[in-house]
Amino acid sequence: MGCARDIVEHCGVPRFVWSDFPLGNSAGRPFDAESQAWTLELALRLLEGAPAARTTVASPLRWTADPAWKHKYLDAGKLTPEDIAERRKEFDVVKAVAKAKREGA
Amino acid sequence: MSDGPAASARPAIQFAPEDDVPIRYMERTRAYYQALGFSPYRWAHFTDAPFTPLAVPLARARVAVITTAAPFQPEAGDQGPRAPYNAAAKFYQVYSAPVDSKPDLRISHVGYDRANTVPEDLDAYFPLTRLQEAVAAGRVGGLTPRFHGAPTNRSHRVTMETDAPELLRRCREDGTDAVVLVPS
Repeated sequence: MGCARDIVEHCGVPRFVWSDFPLGNSAGRPFDAESQAWTLELALRLLEGAPAARTTVASPLRWTADPAWKHKYLDAGKLTPEDIAERRKEFDVVKAVAKAKREGA
Repeated sequence: MSDGPAASARPAIQFAPEDDVPIRYMERTRAYYQALGFSPYRWAHFTDAPFTPLAVPLARARVAVITTAAPFQPEAGDQGPRAPYNAAAKFYQVYSAPVDSKPDLRISHVGYDRANTVPEDLDAYFPLTRLQEAVAAGRVGGLTPRFHGAPTNRSHRVTMETDAPELLRRCREDGTDAVVLVPS
């Protein structure tokens, strides 16, 4: 169950329920048990009936009627040189923390 | 089984806006990190994917959940729903926990869509509650006693040679018939 169609299909998985939702909502819409139950039901139907590897089912659920939300994720086009320098610095810090954690794990 | 919640409220099919397409995450991530001066990441890509038909009817099957969410760790900084990316909350080894433990799982260590997602509802990224309901309704035979956490290690080698075999070992130990994998 996931939201990144291109990444999952690029890898190739046995069965895939794709929800056209922002990353972080692989199991359905927040505080919407009906959408979550339906997203899971699609996964269960795939377990039962997918005919072959790399079968994708696209959930019919929409995040919002307006697709404008899709433009916001990691939009590099709007970054100024100052934004880039700051984010580069933040990323270097994050990498150092991750390295320390990994080596201590 | 119903046609889903959208069926009764689904509007008539019409033309969609040009830009209403699946987000090209690989292209966007590549462009973003190249703008920051980093070399591009190579996503996993294989010549084929494995496939095994379900060996028992789902109503008799034992299902496991595998998540990339992490148990809350009090010493690891802000892991709340509005936390910025938190590398200190990342985990590097497979973990398991009982399915009846009411887990507190967070995704602050994951690059989810922070512009559009506020992960306040665990059930939106971890379908354990909905699976338990499916078991109670007779749709699924049962859950394994444990669910498992998969590290989001960006090393293909570690994922394939260490983490995936360990997950498989634990699934087999639990008598798993099928796995629902839910990355965040």
